[in-house]
Amino acid sequence: MLIAVTVVLIIMLLGSIGTVFAFSWAATHQQFENLESAAESIFDADEPIGTPTDPSITRNS
Amino acid sequence: MSSENALKPDAAAIEESRLQRLEIDRAARWPVGIFLGSSLFWLLLGSALAIAASIKLHDPEFLAENAWLTFGRVRPAHLNIVVYGWLSTAGIGIGLWILSRLCRAPIRDHRSLTLAAVLWNMGNAVGTWGILRGDSTAVEWLEYPTYAAPFLLVCFAFVTLEAVGLIRRRPPGHIYISQWYIMAAFFWFPALYFTAHGLLILAPVQAPAQPPINWWFAHNVLGLWFTPIGLGAVYYLIPKIIGRPIHSYYLSIIGFWSLAFFYAWNGMHHLIGGPFPAWLITASVVASIMMFIPVITVAINHHFTMVGHFKKTIYSPTLRFVVFGAMCYTLASFQGSSMAIRSLNGITHFTHYTIAHAHLGVYGFATMVFFGSIYYIMPRLLEREWPSRFLIRIHFWSCALGFIGYWSFLSWGGVLQGIELNQKDTPFLEIVALTMPYLKLRTISGSLMTLGHVAFAISFCWMIIRHRASDGEPTLFTKRVPDPAPIHE
Repeated sequence: MLIAVTVVLIIMLLGSIGTVFAFSWAATHQQFENLESAAESIFDADEPIGTPTDPSITRNS
Repeated sequence: MSSENALKPDAAAIEESRLQRLEIDRAARWPVGIFLGSSLFWLLLGSALAIAASIKLHDPEFLAENAWLTFGRVRPAHLNIVVYGWLSTAGIGIGLWILSRLCRAPIRDHRSLTLAAVLWNMGNAVGTWGILRGDSTAVEWLEYPTYAAPFLLVCFAFVTLEAVGLIRRRPPGHIYISQWYIMAAFFWFPALYFTAHGLLILAPVQAPAQPPINWWFAHNVLGLWFTPIGLGAVYYLIPKIIGRPIHSYYLSIIGFWSLAFFYAWNGMHHLIGGPFPAWLITASVVASIMMFIPVITVAINHHFTMVGHFKKTIYSPTLRFVVFGAMCYTLASFQGSSMAIRSLNGITHFTHYTIAHAHLGVYGFATMVFFGSIYYIMPRLLEREWPSRFLIRIHFWSCALGFIGYWSFLSWGGVLQGIELNQKDTPFLEIVALTMPYLKLRTISGSLMTLGHVAFAISFCWMIIRHRASDGEPTLFTKRVPDPAPIHE
């Protein structure tokens, strides 16, 4: 039982520390700034905003 | 004029971008293709076992003479095959592909990932064999015997290492919300699986502590594994397909971090009424109600991103599946939070209503989003189009109608069952008889869903063995309107 509780506590600690670390990393690395450009970051030069990337839509619109 | 001279400066950028994506898709072809292809095998096997289990509920003599096919083995085999064989296998493939695309970095070590895919499938095969031969652990959602776990562990080590490598090789700048979701899922799932496996099977804790660990695991598999992979896919596919950024990136961030911080508390609401500390259950009920925050942010984002574009679901198979799945996500989450309210839980607990709810999450949401994702990914991996519009139509309508029927019948039957279970004077066998019509309708609905899966598998195999390269003709839900060039490569 003691081993089990220790394992759970270690995993809880690691998980919590990991999540808090990821959150603070995101905050200090401008991940919560310039949100508009972040939303547009998935578009490329050949698949820009305004261009559907499913050929079935392109052919019918 | 040579093609070089013909390129304007921005045309060069366009060409560079196209070639980079082509390189990424080609590097992903084998590992992602194996994950996606093998997931379909498990989908078909899981569906066959689901129908067998469903028939046994209203016709207990069906296949009862063979010990391997008794309800106590078929039902957990179905559950584990669908969770680990279909959804997890497809989820790994989809997650890796989207991560690779968003990191703008090709998968580097495709050999180890291919080996990972083989190991994952071996783990599923060994686990399924173990359950059917009677070696089940009898821990719900973790029924695979211990000897299946090492295969899954090694596979996930390869997958997570490659995912970390992709993130490290990305160009500097923002990490898009889908990357956050998928990366987190690749860490959360192995932590969940191996913690629960260790504490429940390898070195079991004392009996009273087992149900909380079991439901902490089972609930989080949905919320911290399928949900982030599914939402990561939705946040990537909807904007890419319609060519419009998500409505509010700010809301998407709130959605992700509230899921990360609070979801893990949810599972204890499965134990309402059980012999557990009151604070444990109450904390879980509160966390379940708090889930309205990430769900509403996601729902607003999905809906307002799609506003003005819903008509495109007429044409695009991917969009139709993904939008259907996204709507089911909202519905499943609202329903799940409401089921944590004690008064409602007192009726729905131990009834078919819970089964309907579980299928709303894993089928209506996760499975439909994964179908849509595969429709988007495969033509880019193989550089050829889906072979048959007819098969895609059969796939969508069989699955959608079958699922709507399944969920509606079981929800309604479950509520009636729950009301009667709370009447102390109603004989139990009367309640069993009351649920019979709903169980038969469940079998019919499930068979319809399976028909869709068969159509999908035929379509998938046909696409692979057809050696003709894409002629640019897209596979539509409706008849083609003539127009310009193919756009994906």
